[in-house]
Amino acid sequence: MAMTVTSAGGLLAMLNEAHPSLKLHALSNLNAFVDYFWPEISTSVPIIESLYEDEEFNQRQLAALLVSKVFYYLGELNDSLSYALGAGPLFDVSEDTDYVLTLLAKAIDEYASLRNKAAESKDAGDIDPRMEAIVERMLDKCILDGRYQQAIGIAIECRRLDKLEEAITKSDNVHATLSYCSNISHSFVNRREYRHEVLNLLVKVFKKMPSPDYLSICQCLMFLDEPMGVASILEKLLRSEDKNDALLAFQIAFDLIENEHQAFLLNVRDRLPQPKYIPTELVQPASAETESVPDANAAASEDTQMEDGTQAMVGSSPVVDPKEANYAERLTKLKGILSGETSIQLTLQFLYSHNKSDLLILKTIKQSVEMRNSVCHSATIYANAIMHAGTTVDTFLRENLDWLSRATNWAKFSATAGLGVIHRGHLQQGRSLMAPYLPQSGSGGGSPYSEGGALYALGLIHANHGEGIKQFLRDSLRSTNVEVIQHGACLGLGLAALGTADDDVFDDIKNVLYTDSAVAGEAAGISMGLLMVGTASEKAAEILTYAHETQHEKIIRGLALGIALTVYGREEEADALIEQMTRDQDPIIRYGGMYALALAYSGTANNKAIRQLLHFAVSDVSDDVRRTAVLALGFVLYSEPEQTPRIVSLLSESYNPHVRYGAALAVGISCAGTGLSEAISLLEPLTSDVVDFVRQGALIAMAMVLVQISEASDSRVGVFRRQLEKIILDKHEDTMSKMGAILASGILDAGGRNVTIKLLSETRHDKMTAVVGLAVFTQFWYWYPLIYFISLAFSPTALIGLNYDLKVPRFEFLSHAKPSLFEYPRPTTVATTASAVKLPTAVLSTSARAKARASKKEADQKAIAEKSSGAESTSGIGKSSSDKDGDSMQVDVPMQKKAEVEPSFEILTNPARVVPAQEKFIKFLEDSRYIPVKSAASGFVLLKDLHPTEPEVLSLTDAPSSTASTGGTAVNTQGSVASMPVDEEPQPPQPFEYTS
Amino acid sequence: MDPKLSEVSQMCELFKAALVRNDFEKCETLLSQLKVLLTAFRSLPPLFEATLNAVHELTVARDIYEHAVILSVKTEDQDAFERDFFQLKPYYTDAGDRLPQSQQEFPILGLNLLRLLVQNRIAEFHTELELLSASALENPCIKHAVELEQSFMEGAYNRVLTARQTVPHETYVYFMDLLAKTVRDEIAGCSEKAYDSLSINDARQILLFSSDQELSGYINEEHPEWEIKNGYVIFQKAKESAPCKEIPSLQLITQTLSYARELERIV
Repeated sequence: MAMTVTSAGGLLAMLNEAHPSLKLHALSNLNAFVDYFWPEISTSVPIIESLYEDEEFNQRQLAALLVSKVFYYLGELNDSLSYALGAGPLFDVSEDTDYVLTLLAKAIDEYASLRNKAAESKDAGDIDPRMEAIVERMLDKCILDGRYQQAIGIAIECRRLDKLEEAITKSDNVHATLSYCSNISHSFVNRREYRHEVLNLLVKVFKKMPSPDYLSICQCLMFLDEPMGVASILEKLLRSEDKNDALLAFQIAFDLIENEHQAFLLNVRDRLPQPKYIPTELVQPASAETESVPDANAAASEDTQMEDGTQAMVGSSPVVDPKEANYAERLTKLKGILSGETSIQLTLQFLYSHNKSDLLILKTIKQSVEMRNSVCHSATIYANAIMHAGTTVDTFLRENLDWLSRATNWAKFSATAGLGVIHRGHLQQGRSLMAPYLPQSGSGGGSPYSEGGALYALGLIHANHGEGIKQFLRDSLRSTNVEVIQHGACLGLGLAALGTADDDVFDDIKNVLYTDSAVAGEAAGISMGLLMVGTASEKAAEILTYAHETQHEKIIRGLALGIALTVYGREEEADALIEQMTRDQDPIIRYGGMYALALAYSGTANNKAIRQLLHFAVSDVSDDVRRTAVLALGFVLYSEPEQTPRIVSLLSESYNPHVRYGAALAVGISCAGTGLSEAISLLEPLTSDVVDFVRQGALIAMAMVLVQISEASDSRVGVFRRQLEKIILDKHEDTMSKMGAILASGILDAGGRNVTIKLLSETRHDKMTAVVGLAVFTQFWYWYPLIYFISLAFSPTALIGLNYDLKVPRFEFLSHAKPSLFEYPRPTTVATTASAVKLPTAVLSTSARAKARASKKEADQKAIAEKSSGAESTSGIGKSSSDKDGDSMQVDVPMQKKAEVEPSFEILTNPARVVPAQEKFIKFLEDSRYIPVKSAASGFVLLKDLHPTEPEVLSLTDAPSSTASTGGTAVNTQGSVASMPVDEEPQPPQPFEYTS
Repeated sequence: MDPKLSEVSQMCELFKAALVRNDFEKCETLLSQLKVLLTAFRSLPPLFEATLNAVHELTVARDIYEHAVILSVKTEDQDAFERDFFQLKPYYTDAGDRLPQSQQEFPILGLNLLRLLVQNRIAEFHTELELLSASALENPCIKHAVELEQSFMEGAYNRVLTARQTVPHETYVYFMDLLAKTVRDEIAGCSEKAYDSLSINDARQILLFSSDQELSGYINEEHPEWEIKNGYVIFQKAKESAPCKEIPSLQLITQTLSYARELERIV
């Protein structure tokens, strides 16, 4: 272009011409040049505005557009938007300019906020139809251009469910779009009722599809709390001819289980229709089998029910219909899954067979802890329980009975309860295991402490699956008036009947509460909360009244927490109650209010809740409330762990140690199991704080963050382990931080190093039990036995593939990452001091490498040729790759080039430990015999068998069935520990040349 | 030749002829038509597309606008003058290097300066002046305007008024007449401030009127608030304007001191 104008003066002058076509000429040219000449035009805006307002001028819209652009450049977005609306169709939403994009965003924001306001105030507010038109044009354009995600986002934001539906149905990959949609409805739709509307719509769309994605539908239905819908889908799938449909049904059931919504699952199960005819010969053997073989799918408690039902019907219908028989068989399996027993059973087997806990650590702790220090003594017992949570391995306790007997009174209570954690999920034998400690009817022989502890233990074993044990616990509760036993029974009952809102149980507990005994009342308060989790029932008000009446602080605290639990996940619905609690005069009630905020908005990252919590964190007069407010941030933010360190970083430097403690735990809770680097950096300085309890909190939080993180992926894990060891061995360390260190070592190696702390399920839904568990766990500040609640938050990191019979077949898959990244930590060596450990490791690792190189080929060949048992081969590979250690890397760098490179993948065998960070590397082999029903990298996955005729090889058949076998395992684990040094016997070093 | 262009050229000739005849009505209608026709040419500002006849079209358009400016002077329409001048300006500033210099350029620029002076828009006057090259300033038309402005600023109103005799271009006369009025307004404004009252005789002299009638006519028309009493012109009413506010110095001092004290306390 040869020339450009240097001024818009001429055009502006032209606007004053009389002839309309001259005005039009000027306007259209100005519109073209507005980007350059807006400062000049801005002085003439009144003239253009008057053109826009001139009814007779036929290009008013152009004038409006021009004015809008000028206002945009002047930064007056509101004016700009109102004129853009006046521009009508001339405002082209597809134009890719800053102006259009900014105004569109503005228009959509405005529209969304108007729509939201209208929806909240329940009256149809007057929304500018022109704005609506613009947004609709934008939506239509997005849909036309195939940018469905954008359209969905806008539609959801603006509460335009009609457009949302259109966007979903028109998208080219409806399945993907739907799953995207349900994802964002969880992460971005803040208001609960609206989210329900969205989900309802999703379900509607889902159902219209030719091949519905039942997995997703059921997830949605679960959120909507519609057990009927789920039940009918499951029934349909079960009745199908196709075996794969049944597999799908099982998969759905497992997915539902993962969200730990006991009440809902029970509802679903009860609504599954009974088969019309039940052939006697099929059911009876099946149930007989269940009783004889412990790892069959249905549990004893379940069976009695089934049999009752069947026997009633058997008489009426002797006809055998193969279809119905098939259905009945599948139904039994499905019910087994839904009751959670199948998954618990399998988990238990996995944790038992893969247990890699390091007894030496415990031994070190035990030896270094002073005899008379009961706090550390119990802490060691806690640590042992946590370390072996769910593995059923109680070797340590059995070997140290003498030492254990030093626990008296409440220590005895928690020692007994610890068994519950160790045997967590051992549903069939839980009762018999605890039998020696349980209160005996008639004779008052046992100590009330161990009896109470045993009842608590039963609750822990049956946590969230307590149908079988509920009655027993109720009876125990009613038949005693010893407050310690009442305490244990209340906690146990609360755990077992978690979230069932059973009125009878509630009344029983309430009776205990009204005895106004401090010890029993505290447990009763918590227990009521556990029972009513997430129901937001009016009973909360009743509890609150009592909390005001009673004199005992312990009871008030228990009740406050209980009330908080009732509003779990209710978001805005809980606002009134929260308001009432947070304005209370009693700091303990306010403290409960903080928990209520934490739980009602758990995992929502709701800005309002965060703001409120931060406000209390800095302004409340009570240290307890401030500490809890900060801690509660962890719950609100666990769905976005990256946020937490940033938000609490300032608080972690507070002068108030309580706030620092809260900040540490907040990070621990929300970043649990993530190994997030920022979280570690924030906690590191706190672990050497000047105040003992801050150190304690920081150590525990650090352990929570680092659980299952291997040293290869973050070197600070090793540093932290050494720090723990140092604190435990240091005679002059404060008891508080020593206890923190002991607990931390327990959490770090929790569940035989096979579990992590997970608050979100695979589908990014909240895991209710886990959240509740952690919330009560944080109460250990006041009451140590509550530490055991952390076991509720543990979830096994395993990929367990199941076949149609819900057995674990031999199945291999690929982890496309270096094995060392995710391997188990190396067992500690016999040497007790940290300095002594270093030297041997350096020598050992080189020799281990040499040995490994020789043995690897063997191992590989073995793995391919003879498919040995899963546990062995995985450990073999683990060993072969163990040469990659932080220390060894530094020792022989020159050798690195020559040395065989560590394989970039490993083959895992079903069931396998898959830590969360590893999930993205998991690939299923293409030529495998089994194909997973859904491609998930962890949890339970149903496998489709491509060669159903061939015999299946099952892995994982050994079950920790009795106490006798546990004794056997003790020998086993002992053996493996002992054999470790023998394995790594030094060999002559490889010949090498110095290169430097 | 492009039919449209030839049509415009023809009409342009008609327009010029009408202008010479001082047939203003005809001029106005023709001009309006011409302007509409001109919007169709894409070679004109602000587009400046390099079409075949670009130079020719630009020349014609410039010619039209130049005459439009002259027309507005003749019809004594200042708004039209401003409008047309601004539309003409791009032909000088932006298209100047493509077209042969117009004969009319400096007279018209000078006219514009004069207009600004008349309208007492001194700031814009200087802005325009800054845009001119040094050589342009030597042009008698421009120089005339600049000198006028200097005299005007100095208060040498006599010189301003006598300059009417030395106009470089016949179109300037109109503005020079207007300028005399501007000068008078200026003097009137100053007198109002400077005196409580003036004898009619003095007032007549100061305001450069030749007779008392003219003076009283002017007062009635422009300054009805003035009063003629006992052979004096009394400005008192204008004096009523509020005395300028006193600066609250003491208050400011105490405030500043207290801020300083507070700051010291905080640090």
